[in-house]
Amino acid sequence: MLLVLSEEHKAHLGALPLVGDPAVGELGRLAVELLRRGAAPRACETAARKLSIDVDTVQHGVEGLTYLLSESSKLMISEIDFQDSIHVLGFSDELNKLLLQLYLDNRREIRRILGELEPKLPSYHSLEWRLDVQLASRSLRQQIKPAVTIKLHLSQNEDQTVQVLQTDPSTLLHLIQQLEQALGEMKTNHCRRIVRNMK
Amino acid sequence: QRFRFCGDLDCPDWVLAEISTLAKISSVKLKLICGQVLRDLLGEAMEYEKILKLTSDAKLDSGDVKATIAVLGFVLCSAAKHGVDSESLASELQQLGLPKEHAGGLCRCYEEKQSCLQDRLRARSLRLSRLGSVCWRVDHTLSSSELWEVNEPLVHLTFNVRDGEHGGTAAVPVVLSADKFRVLLAELRQAQALMNSL
Repeated sequence: MLLVLSEEHKAHLGALPLVGDPAVGELGRLAVELLRRGAAPRACETAARKLSIDVDTVQHGVEGLTYLLSESSKLMISEIDFQDSIHVLGFSDELNKLLLQLYLDNRREIRRILGELEPKLPSYHSLEWRLDVQLASRSLRQQIKPAVTIKLHLSQNEDQTVQVLQTDPSTLLHLIQQLEQALGEMKTNHCRRIVRNMK
Repeated sequence: QRFRFCGDLDCPDWVLAEISTLAKISSVKLKLICGQVLRDLLGEAMEYEKILKLTSDAKLDSGDVKATIAVLGFVLCSAAKHGVDSESLASELQQLGLPKEHAGGLCRCYEEKQSCLQDRLRARSLRLSRLGSVCWRVDHTLSSSELWEVNEPLVHLTFNVRDGEHGGTAAVPVVLSADKFRVLLAELRQAQALMNSL
């Protein structure tokens, strides 16, 4: 699968052969840092001063590299496809090899970072419960009514929410039975076949 | 095999795995570490540096130290939760492979603090809301725009409720006439009599 680079992207990456190969290594490192930690304008300024080029050129070069690396990692393109995709930029063989090495070295980490960007549903954090028995109320004395109160702690992207639920013991037993049945589904042939194919 | 201190269930694998780590520490030092763990469970600060000093002889690395604290915390909390007496706990720990002096030291620590621990666990149990305090005031209405001479007493009550769901205190103000207040009082007295008869 080939990457199609837009004209603007090609123009940004066009700055790379001008800075020289060791500088491209530095820009590559900045690009990976950008993916790991976010924008660092001061680092770009320092690099621009060290290489005596315009800050904007450095910024565009780093951003272009970042986009190239993240798109390639996202699509998990093979080495040959990567080389063919950047061939269109007309760089020297040395530069192409450098870019390929940059891609291969950082591919796994970039994929891990991209994997964390997906939207998340609230997930289980912890559970507190209590068992009470109602003995009497204003309208009726001499009762025995057991109830289980559950406080479910959920977390979603560092937000903590709380859900309070109440049920009687027979509903709770039914709930447990349904959840155990759901877990048991993993052992059926159908699920086993799918899991085997995924591995 | 079922253990009472695990609530009549199997002992968790990670606890079994760390029993041998506990055996590496001398039984005297284990008792002191237990004391520190109990301090943490009872809400005071645990002195981690002391624990590090006590485990340094046994040459435990930082992962083993944390595992030791976790296992001791689990055993003490779980035993208190299920109301296990200290002799049963000692015999069950020996069944798991903990040497006799170690189990004995641990259980002596447990016995001293068992009721404190249970009180603290009881206080930490789930409560949805809690009444903080009640403030009251009795007024006498003289007159109003509807009627020239009203002359009726009025009770203002403010319940300060601590919300268990989200934390924080909410004030709930209520205004009652004398008759309604008498009904409220009678009903609450009946509920109190029921509670006392339990």
